[in-house]
Amino acid sequence: MGLEPLFQAWSYFRRRKFRQCSDLCSQLLERPPSEQEQPESEYTAFQAAWSLKTRALTEMVYVDEIDMDQEGIAEMMLDENAIAQVARPGTSLKLPGTSQGAGPSPAVRPVTQSGRPITGFVRPSTQSGRPGTMEQAIKTPRTALTARPITSASGRYVRLGTASMLTNPDGPFINLSRLNLAKYAQKPKLAKALFEYIFHHENDVKNALDLAALATEHAQFKDWWWKVQIGKCYYRLGLYREAEKQFKSALKQQDMVDTILYLAKVYLRLDQPVTALNLFKQGLDRFPGEVTLICGIARIYEEMNNISSAAEYYKDVLKQDNTHVEAIACIGSNHFYSDQPEIALRFYRRLLQMGVYNCQLFNNLGLCCFYAQQYDMTLSSFERALFLAENEEETADVWYNLGHVAVGIGDLNLAYQCFKLTLVNNNNYAEAYNNLAVLEMRKGHIEQARALLQTASSLAPHMYEPHFNFAVLSEKVGDLQRSYTAAQKSEEAFPGHVDTQQLLKQLKQHFAML
Amino acid sequence: MPEGKAAFREVLPKQGQLSVEDAAAMVLCKPKVLPLKSVSLEKLEKLQRAALEAARPADGTPPPRP
Repeated sequence: MGLEPLFQAWSYFRRRKFRQCSDLCSQLLERPPSEQEQPESEYTAFQAAWSLKTRALTEMVYVDEIDMDQEGIAEMMLDENAIAQVARPGTSLKLPGTSQGAGPSPAVRPVTQSGRPITGFVRPSTQSGRPGTMEQAIKTPRTALTARPITSASGRYVRLGTASMLTNPDGPFINLSRLNLAKYAQKPKLAKALFEYIFHHENDVKNALDLAALATEHAQFKDWWWKVQIGKCYYRLGLYREAEKQFKSALKQQDMVDTILYLAKVYLRLDQPVTALNLFKQGLDRFPGEVTLICGIARIYEEMNNISSAAEYYKDVLKQDNTHVEAIACIGSNHFYSDQPEIALRFYRRLLQMGVYNCQLFNNLGLCCFYAQQYDMTLSSFERALFLAENEEETADVWYNLGHVAVGIGDLNLAYQCFKLTLVNNNNYAEAYNNLAVLEMRKGHIEQARALLQTASSLAPHMYEPHFNFAVLSEKVGDLQRSYTAAQKSEEAFPGHVDTQQLLKQLKQHFAML
Repeated sequence: MPEGKAAFREVLPKQGQLSVEDAAAMVLCKPKVLPLKSVSLEKLEKLQRAALEAARPADGTPPPRP
């Protein structure tokens, strides 16, 4: 004697076996109607199975909407919410130079395309920095990793729209165009599951918004949940001010951490980090010690290049939750780049103890071990990292770092091979081109070095190293004009670089003498 | 290390012009600590991979002809 099938499906759902749950629900739904009991209450078993199946399908492809964020070129450049062309210092995320706290120098910590120091943790929204200008956005080479969709409507959201293809090989479960949304809006219990299905599984924001609007009307605008959902839809549609109104109204009705996070996301998209910071701090008064809020503050500070404040808040996060991976990783990378690899090593080891087991972590462990002079662990960590790499880009990263180890022990041949292997795995690795050029230059191969540097600087115009190296090289061979232009580019990328300034001064003297 | 006065003696020129050549050296790009991925990012990537797999025609079917 088996379990009651609906209960069995429910049990599958609770154990996160969504595939089985959905299959079982389908069987239940296919039963002839005569077998189903007559409706006694408002909801029938048939409806229960239907609702459970929508929930199971949603869970299969569910990604936390708070973390979901991708800005396309169009949204970024045709930004009609911007108030001023040039923001005041410390009030914008777009210009990394406007930070008040001194960020780390690019001579120590590598920077991303947007001129922001690389962070210890990536989220969907941090993945592809923000180029500051249209020119930069278009100039950025569209490599596999930096490719940015034209609009968010063409990006990940839509590609994920194929989710229905994944979960239901024989056509969609619910045919949205034939759905009578008004009917479902009358039944709040079904409507919520249906909304999440439309929003997350079908990625059909317009229909989801219609349903939410009808449902909130039915609830006489008294249900905060629907307001949050409407806000989410508006956010996806790019109507940020409307989204803000909905979230605020929801917050008035019911104080929720989630809503605060959504509202902050709106402010960040509107490029108002200070407002978002204030919101988080007010939220912390009402929800003291809430990890997601503290973490939100830390992220904003980090994006504004205020690394020291960010580190403070990440430490606060760890006081509340000492297994917070993001906080540990960020503090670890901060220590690594502030010349304390031993301490960074302890943080990364902690992550390892917590069960994080991937290529990135072993790569970081290897680097920390090497710079902390724990040579016995270095190579085995890198070996493990290479073994765990999931794709060629990751392999390239590991080989690149191994190249540094080789440079460190003076084995330039090995270093050369490592950087070559980096390029084999990822042909757009600008740093490896630059380092190869330096090695070629040591061998006296000026032409090769020049070609490599040109490749590097076209791939990554935001890095100062290739420009500076090109300037040095050109100066050496007597091509002062090119040297001067390259040095200027280098200064643009890293205004505080002393060697660049000296070179420029020298060149100016030369020109003055002519 | 041999003992005694004859072992090593540094040479410091006391007369004439001292010059230090300060040639700008080329710089290497820095080692990169790799950022860890957040759970949602990993899930997104997993979904994308699965979507690609699903979109790809099964092995054995001939490629479409132009």
